Parts: sequence; structure tokens; C-alpha cells
Amino acid sequence: MAQVTFFHYIHQETVLHRMDGRLKLGCLFVLTFSATLASGWLSFLILLSLLSCGLVVSKLPLVTLMKEMKLLAVMLIIVFLTNGFHFASRLILMMLISVLMSGTTSLTTVKNTIEWYLRPIPFIPEVRIATMINLTFVLIPMIFDNYLEMTDAQKARCVTLRKNPIRRIKWLVFPLLSRTLRRADELIYAMEARCYSETRTRATFKPTHRLDWLILALCLLALILVAWYA
Amino acid sequence: MISMSHHPILEVKNLSHVFPNGTMGVHHVNLQVYKGEFIIIAGANGSGKTALIRHLNGLLKPTTGDVLMAGISISSNLIEARKKIGLIFQDSDSQFVGQTVYEEVAFGPENLNLPQAEVAQIVDEVLEVVRLSAVANQSPHTLSGGQKRKLAVAGVLAMKPEIIMFDEPFTGLDYPGVVQVLQQLVALHQAGSTIILVTHELEKVLAHANRLIVMNQGQLVADGRPEDVIKTVEKHAVRMPLQQGERIESLTWLK
Repeated sequence: MAQVTFFHYIHQETVLHRMDGRLKLGCLFVLTFSATLASGWLSFLILLSLLSCGLVVSKLPLVTLMKEMKLLAVMLIIVFLTNGFHFASRLILMMLISVLMSGTTSLTTVKNTIEWYLRPIPFIPEVRIATMINLTFVLIPMIFDNYLEMTDAQKARCVTLRKNPIRRIKWLVFPLLSRTLRRADELIYAMEARCYSETRTRATFKPTHRLDWLILALCLLALILVAWYA
Repeated sequence: MISMSHHPILEVKNLSHVFPNGTMGVHHVNLQVYKGEFIIIAGANGSGKTALIRHLNGLLKPTTGDVLMAGISISSNLIEARKKIGLIFQDSDSQFVGQTVYEEVAFGPENLNLPQAEVAQIVDEVLEVVRLSAVANQSPHTLSGGQKRKLAVAGVLAMKPEIIMFDEPFTGLDYPGVVQVLQQLVALHQAGSTIILVTHELEKVLAHANRLIVMNQGQLVADGRPEDVIKTVEKHAVRMPLQQGERIESLTWLK
């Protein structure tokens, strides 16, 4: 699969990478809510400053990320021209929040955090849900890889000469589905061979630091300011 | 047959398996595995090798016959059987569950509900053994072919098995990858593990085995010391790896 950094976790040793996933999810909610409230230059600048600081602290490869966001820039211009500054600024904020969160939070932390939040809710099989999230993230790149391989193999046999789109979809979808199911089957065998059980070791979190709470407090402060100016 | 100890640690009794489409996968196989053996199961594609080893840790259920571990049917305690008999699949990529190398190795011990501290200790130890500690935070899919096989081995070693089964471990590997896996195999055998390895590429591993089994059309057609059985392999669609006058020991890929 093509190595894309955009919306991918990039391992670094920073305070944002080490941050407790439970508090980070809290920050995500607060920042997303703030972005939906933001209207006007001042509230936009408050959130933009906070997120920019976050991006610098996170040590994410900003230049590479900017290059990969070129396509989204076109979309932003269209949104700006058709819907004005408010929508475009909110879209920029949402994109920055997503990049920051996905770049500094491993899928395991996301999975463990969701499992932790679901644990007190009765009748919800939190371990099963967490495993399903995990397996989805395992299978998506596999399906994507298979798709690329199959399209290349079909191109090599001049599929482009066949103009009927329904036939081309049929030739792609059915083999892809059958291959994905076979791989899923193998994965189930591999999990069974290693005694998969829902009664398993519970995920633990590293101790929460004062800095983690401080980051959450900063996000809350930004929310208050944005709400005030809105 | 070579007896490493008096009692077999694993025994296959009159095992047959018919797939739902009516194909005969395994046909009346009888087999004893002794502690410390290094067994190669060879055979052409579709000869029943993979189906046979998938019965040994209960992934497939026999149509008739049974698999006994220390005299007790494995179906009576599948978890115990799967702890003691590890299986490394042919396609490493499709068996990875973890997002990182560390999590992949931790998957097995976590399934056994071990305390987190013990899981961490086991994972650290095992990664050290297979020399993958430096890539503990990487995604399994970014590793080289040889490293992926080593990770698959690590995932099984974390369960502390007595018998380790490898299904076609050399498929798709380049020369350094084959050497890496081979070194791992020999080290595990020397450390006391019992090894069962399925392959049709005898030239890569036969020098290190002490028993060779050949399967054809679901049946076990030859079983014994490699130097005795090797003469018969071409009859069963397996390439004879030795040239005239060549000795099995000279086949080794390890320097």
C-alpha cells in the first residue's frame, strides 16, 4: 500500500503521543464542539493557534502533511467560494483536529479507550466491540492491498479495453469479496490457534500526568473563549 | 521411526477428514510424535499436509479417529492443546492481529488472561529471543519477509508451547529470509522444542531434521529417518533434493 502519513499514526516521543487516551478523547470532543461553535476571525484564530501549537509539539512531519493535503486544499477553495469563510474555517479546524488526533494516537489507544468508556455500560460486550474495531483496522489495509493487486493484474490483461462498467465492477467485486472472506477465515483460524477469548487481560493505561489534565484544561479554556466570542 | 523418549507426547489415531464438498483431506493417518523430534512432513500440493497439522491443535475436527496429547483426546481440552501445540501459518500477513509488533506477541498471553505485568515480561523476553525488540513499536506489515516469519514465531513462543508446527515457512522468502527462519528453527530445536514442519522444499531444511514423513492423497505413505525415506520422495511428487553421491548434511543453508 502507498505510504501515506495523512490521518495515520506516526510514532514520536512527545507529550501528545504519551497523553492518556481517555483524556485525549475528551479533548477531541471539546475541540470538535468548539470548531462547530466557531464563527468569526477571533474564535477561528484562538483554535488555530491552539492546534498549531499542538502540531509543533507533536513533531508530526508538517511539510509532508501539507503536501498530502493539496487535494483537500482544492476542496477548501470550493467550500470557501460556495459557502463563505465560516464553513471553510470550520473545515480547516476539523482537518487539523483529525490530523493531530490520528497522528498522535495509535489505534490500540483508541481501541482501549473505547473499551474503557463502554465498560460501565451494562449489556454492551465491550471486549467484542474493541476486537471488532481492531480487526476492521487490520482488514482495511489488506482489502486495499488486494484491490490494488487485482486492478493491476486486470490492467495487465487489458481490462481497460472493456467499456462496460458493470462487467468491470463484477470482475473486481466478486474476486475481491471471495479473497477477503478467505483471508478473514485464515485470520479466525490464527486467532483460534492462539486461544482467542473474550475473558482476556484488560488494557491498562499509563499513569495520567498533570500535563495531560493541563492540555484538557487548555482545550476547555479555548471552548469557553470561542463560546464567549460566538 | 526415531524414538526420542518412550511415550509419545502426541498421537494421531486412525485420523480421517472429509471436507464438506466431499474431498478426502486426510485418510486413515496414524502417527506418534516424541519429545525433541524435528519432523518434516513433505508432499505435493493437496496431499493433506496442512489439513493434518490443523487437526493437531484442534482447528479442524476429525471425521473419524482422534488426536491424543499425553494420552488424552485434545478435543476434551482445546485451550490446553492450543497452548502446548503452536501453529505458525503459511501466510504470516493474514495471521497478524496486533497493530504493532509488541501487541502481536501480546495477543496470545492476553487471551490466557495473564496479569498485564506478566504479559509485558513474556513479550519482552520473546522479542529478545527472536531479535525483534528494536521494532517493537512498528506495524507488523512494515517488516521484511524474514522478520514477519520471526514475528509469527514470537507470537507462538509467547504461549510457551512444547510442540511448534510450521506450515510452509519458506514460501515467498528470499535467501536471507530463509536463513533467518532456518536459524530460528534450529535454535528452537536445540533449546528443546519439538518441531513439526510442513514443506515440499526439502533442500532448505532436511539437513536439520531427524524424521521425514511423506504424504500423498491424504495418506501417510512414508515415515522414517531422512536418509531412508528420501529415496522414495520422487514417487510421491516431491523433488529429490540430493545429487548423486551427495549427503543430506551437505544440504544445509546455514554456514
